[in-house]
Amino acid sequence: MGRVLLVGRLAARSVRRRAVESALLLLAIMAATTTLTLGLALHGVTDSPYQRTKEATAGPDVVASAGPDFVPTSDGTVVDDEGFRQPAEAAVVPADIAALEELAEESGVIAHSGPYPAIVADLEVDAVTTEVWAQGHDPDGAAVDRPELTAGRWLEAGGVVVEAAFADVLDVGVGDRLALNGDRFEVVGVAVTAAALPYTDVCFGWVCTIFTAEEVINPSSPPVPSTARRVDFESFPIPPDDAGLVWLTEEDLRGLASEQDLLSYVVNLELAEPAAAPAFVSGHAASGITTEPVLLSWQDLRDAYRELVEVRGEVLVTFSWLLAVLGLASVAVLVGGRLADQTRRVGLLKAVGGTPRLVAVVLLAEYVVLALVAAVGGLAVGWLTARLFTDPGAGLLGSAGAPSLTLATAGVVTAVALGVAMVASLVPALRAASTSTVEALADKARPPRRTPWLIALAARLPAPLLLGLRTAARRPRRMVLSTLSIVVTVSGIVTLLAARNEIAREWEGPSQLDPDAAQVDRLLLVIAVMLIALAALNAVFVTWTTALDARHSTALARALGATPRAVSTALSAAQVLPALAGAVLAIPGGLALWSALSDEAANPPLWQLLAVPPATVLVVAVLTLIPARLGGRRPTAEILQAELAR
Amino acid sequence: MQQEVVLAMLAKEPAYGYALRARLSAALGPLGDAMNAGQIYVTLTRLEKAGLVASEEATSTEGPARKVYGLTSAGQERVGAWLAEVSWPRPDLAEFHLKLVAAAAAGLADPLAIVDQQRRELLRRLRDAQRAAMAEPDRSDAALLLEGIVLRLQADLRWLEACERNWTERRGNL
Amino acid sequence: MSDTADTPVLRTRGLRKQYGKGEVLVRAVAGVDLDVASGETVAVMGPSGCGKSTLLHVLGGLDRPSEGEVWLDGRRIDRLGEKALARMRREAVGFVFQGFHLMDELTAVENVELSALLAGNSPRAARRRATELLERVGLADRAGFLPAALSGGQRQRVAIARALCNEPRVVLADEPTGNLDSAATLDVLRLFESLHEAGHTLVIVTHDDRIAATADRLISMRDGAFVDETRLAGGTSGKLGALAGLEG
Repeated sequence: MGRVLLVGRLAARSVRRRAVESALLLLAIMAATTTLTLGLALHGVTDSPYQRTKEATAGPDVVASAGPDFVPTSDGTVVDDEGFRQPAEAAVVPADIAALEELAEESGVIAHSGPYPAIVADLEVDAVTTEVWAQGHDPDGAAVDRPELTAGRWLEAGGVVVEAAFADVLDVGVGDRLALNGDRFEVVGVAVTAAALPYTDVCFGWVCTIFTAEEVINPSSPPVPSTARRVDFESFPIPPDDAGLVWLTEEDLRGLASEQDLLSYVVNLELAEPAAAPAFVSGHAASGITTEPVLLSWQDLRDAYRELVEVRGEVLVTFSWLLAVLGLASVAVLVGGRLADQTRRVGLLKAVGGTPRLVAVVLLAEYVVLALVAAVGGLAVGWLTARLFTDPGAGLLGSAGAPSLTLATAGVVTAVALGVAMVASLVPALRAASTSTVEALADKARPPRRTPWLIALAARLPAPLLLGLRTAARRPRRMVLSTLSIVVTVSGIVTLLAARNEIAREWEGPSQLDPDAAQVDRLLLVIAVMLIALAALNAVFVTWTTALDARHSTALARALGATPRAVSTALSAAQVLPALAGAVLAIPGGLALWSALSDEAANPPLWQLLAVPPATVLVVAVLTLIPARLGGRRPTAEILQAELAR
Repeated sequence: MQQEVVLAMLAKEPAYGYALRARLSAALGPLGDAMNAGQIYVTLTRLEKAGLVASEEATSTEGPARKVYGLTSAGQERVGAWLAEVSWPRPDLAEFHLKLVAAAAAGLADPLAIVDQQRRELLRRLRDAQRAAMAEPDRSDAALLLEGIVLRLQADLRWLEACERNWTERRGNL
Repeated sequence: MSDTADTPVLRTRGLRKQYGKGEVLVRAVAGVDLDVASGETVAVMGPSGCGKSTLLHVLGGLDRPSEGEVWLDGRRIDRLGEKALARMRREAVGFVFQGFHLMDELTAVENVELSALLAGNSPRAARRRATELLERVGLADRAGFLPAALSGGQRQRVAIARALCNEPRVVLADEPTGNLDSAATLDVLRLFESLHEAGHTLVIVTHDDRIAATADRLISMRDGAFVDETRLAGGTSGKLGALAGLEG
């Protein structure tokens, strides 16, 4: 018991004595644990919000929808504006409402709503023009699918309710006005539903098969009834690539259609056995006839939401490993400096009878404690920020705070934090524990390393670089870690550049309306900020450590006539030189990482890659400016005197 | 010149008077320069009278005949007794100390001025001894002796420092 | 002013240096007037804390006085900017410290040439000068040794060689023998003696009587002020024998 107390007390003292370093250490490990938590928490994150939304909105177990089709009625063709050969004439075959209605009568179906009409409409709000799926709905609330309002009220004539995720992207709210196919409506509410695919994938009718069918079904045309309307084939409304969802009263909706036979229809079904929904769906496998109903089970819908978030999770897990490596580098620098400093304590402990084991435990305890705190902090911050990324799943209810914090996640995160701390501190701690007591008590400062070729090379350089290169060469391990930290950071940034470049290519259209693109963009930004912040912290800290460690030789250089500026420049250069090396190494590193992450070999533009090393050097130079300046201006006489007092 | 020193120098083997002097010079280095050559002969004559040293004329093919001095058995005994003896010169610190006390008590002079004066003298001596030491090759017998002088002077200077501190405080307390 | 022989290499007037404020005000140097002639060796002695190290730092431009003037080679330096001071240290001043202050990762010759390199000499010229100086301090065969492989006396000789590297107008030594044993002290004393003979100007602050005794002029310092000044030259020759117990 006494021993535990002793170990605890010594660890606590040590943490307090070097509070700033401890805080940095904590931050470094926390950055890694936070990202890891995020990555893990986003995994399967939408399951429960979907469930919750489904319960709150009396969500359907199966959504069935059917749309009209245009069937060519003659062999004659015309060439359209874009040079495509098109049938000269077509007949409009309306959606198969009868089949939808029959579904509602099937055994196992205990409730239903609809069929509700739906149509693709041109939406204008402020300066934005886009296409949207407009669905008619029951102003009094239906038996199945009662969208839950997150703002405003439910339908009324002349009013429109906008699906939440879409409203978020459009940035519209209650009271705003918009136009559908030229008719003006007022936004009366914003709501979530469990009865549609997530935003950008909203669809009704035959198109939906591409989201559910395992293989592409060859569509076949329905028979043309004799009463069918003859139209110009080109007027066939093509469902949009990324469409949101709005609700109107049935009457208003019908007003949007120029002809009633152009409407699609939706039926929401509630089954006695919700778990049997996939069986129900496959029991009504799409015939391939384009006007017949297409069925989606609630599991299909849930998976679509889950997939959305999981992509982000994967990106995060990958980057959390990068951050973990970065954390490891900074922790190693910190721990190395600290343990060197504790040699005397080790000697004292041993002199009063501490076994090597006790000494090792005392040294490690501190880092174990810090790692545990960092794990808890990372879990908390990660869990809290996860809602940022699940949000536009804003299409779901209660997505905020939804990411689950499982025991497994907590375990993995804690293990990583402990692992990082251990890997960085175990070797120095064991080494310290096994040094001879007498040597430890004598507390020889860690002698600098000698790298003859660097020293000789430095002699040929102007004074600041001479001092800088020699300062860097004094601590090769630290130089390697600095380089490593830059390699990791810049690799991350190169990867992010590549990722952004690919996003830009993939979402060429109006990506400001694509929540996924916006989301991933935001995510990449957050990761970049974390990477850079951690690396910046590292650079500043390493410079400060170097300035402290080299205070004697810099004071001496100044006594020998080096100017303060030369000394500051030297301290900066000691960081900038490894940074330059790191940045150059990181470009192939980052591209390799990206090609491992993504199938697409979408390299960022050359100018961006070429700009990376100079930008890195500039940033590191600026970051190290202040600590280096402080280090270069310390009063020389005092340091030279103080060295004697040791 | 202490008689025992001359005796001990003869303990190894009988020697001519001038050879004896050369041995002493080598051991004393620059300090031996001040030594009067006649002094050794006076001492030898005394020792001979006391029966501790015997001499005989050595025949020489060239130049004048010279005396070779050697120890008698009584002389041998005396050397043995001298080597076993524990003696150490006593520095006369009491005199200087009392000088300071008296000067202060009677108000005749400032003790600190006396200390400063004394220090100046000691430093000059130190300077001389040190110069002599620096001129000696490493590890010569004389260098060792000079180091002894230097260290004693340093000890005296340190004591003067203590005196100075002490008298400064006393003056401050008045 | 035209006659450089009459211009002291170092001169201070009303020099004061204090730290802190109010209750904790420390007057490290409290009104010092000092002239050091070219070729002179001056020792400043005093108990630790008397302000002698601070004085030395101010003389060499490592520290700035709170008040008063410092002239080096006829040029006033107490108001120079950091950059000009650095330049002045590089070109006109050589420092020797108690703790040697060599760079541990550099060999003897690399340590010596460092100040020449900082002064902008070519690597080759710097190396030539350093080798020459190591020879002069008797360490030609130790040029490639790291400080850790040298004895205390040898390290201090390397430091002295470094101080001489840019042919300074004055060498300032702070307790140069403070960390040395008796034999090594003698080595350093010999070296200072030879510098003196070669016409270098030396200011040594110390509480080692031995090194003080080598000076032409000895200044005692107490509580930041000079209290006594002695010319040591013209000694007490002939009395050495008496000191060793040889009667006259």
